[in-house]
Amino acid sequence: MTVDYSTLAVGQEVSNRLVRVDAGTVAKYVGAVDDATALTGGSGEAKAPPMAVAALGLRGVLDDLGIPSGALHAGQELRFSGPVDVGASLRCRATVARNSVRRSSRFVDIALSVRDEEDREVMSGATTLIMQDEAG
Amino acid sequence: MWEAGASLRSVEKSITQERVDDYADASGDFNPIHLDHEFAAGTRFGRTIAHGMLVAASISEMMTASFGLDWHSSGRMKLRFKAPVFPGDTATAFGEVKAVSDAETEREVVCTVGVRRQTGEEAISGEARVTVRRES
Repeated sequence: MTVDYSTLAVGQEVSNRLVRVDAGTVAKYVGAVDDATALTGGSGEAKAPPMAVAALGLRGVLDDLGIPSGALHAGQELRFSGPVDVGASLRCRATVARNSVRRSSRFVDIALSVRDEEDREVMSGATTLIMQDEAG
Repeated sequence: MWEAGASLRSVEKSITQERVDDYADASGDFNPIHLDHEFAAGTRFGRTIAHGMLVAASISEMMTASFGLDWHSSGRMKLRFKAPVFPGDTATAFGEVKAVSDAETEREVVCTVGVRRQTGEEAISGEARVTVRRES
C-alpha cells in the first residue's frame, strides 16, 4: 500500500480494527520478548502483558498506514488502564496527532486507543515515527 | 515500601537476530531495517537493529515484576528511543524511584527508567508512573 504521508491530517483516523488477544498470539509474543512475568487475575484468568496489547494496537497502524522501509520509531507513550484477559477482543483505533517536516525528515505522531468489549479504554498512547520526507 | 532512590530489580536480555525475527512475526513489524541485512547495511546503522518495542518490553516486564497488576491497571510510561540495540547486544532495563506521593488509599510512584546496552550506552530513557493501592 502506498500512502502519501504529506496528506495525513491531524485527527485523521488511519486504523480501526477489532483484534483478538488469543492465547497463541500472546504465547508468540511472550516467547519473542522472553517475558517472565505471566500474571493471572483474582479469578485465575491469564492476563496479557501490557506491551503485547501495545504491539497488537500498533499492528493495525503498521498494516493500514504502510510504514515505509527504514522508518524509525523515535518515541512511545503508553497508558495502561486495565488488565486484559487472554481471549479478549479489543477495538484498536489510531489517529494522526502530528505531521510535520523538519530537516528533510517527516515526524508523524500516531495516537492509539484500545477499548475492550464493554467500551472501556484499556490502553492509550502515542507513537512517534520518523521517516525520510520524499521532498527532502 | 517504595521510597525515592530505591532501585527496581533490573531485567537483562540477550538480543539475538532470532529474537528480532520472532518479534517481527509476533508484532507484524517487518520493517527491513530489523530483518534484512543487505537493506540494513545501507542505513546509517550499517546493520540490522532490534525493534524499539522489543527492547522496551523489558521495561514493562521490570515494572510488572515490581508492581504486579497495578502496572496493568494504572501504568504510564513515556519513552525516548535514543540509540539502537543491535543483535548480539545485551540490553538491561533499569529503574529508580524518583518520587512517591500518597493519597488516602493510593500511592503514586514515579520512576526514572531506561535500557542500557552492554557498552553503557543508554538506548532508551524515560519515565514510568504507577498508582499502587496502599496497604491498610
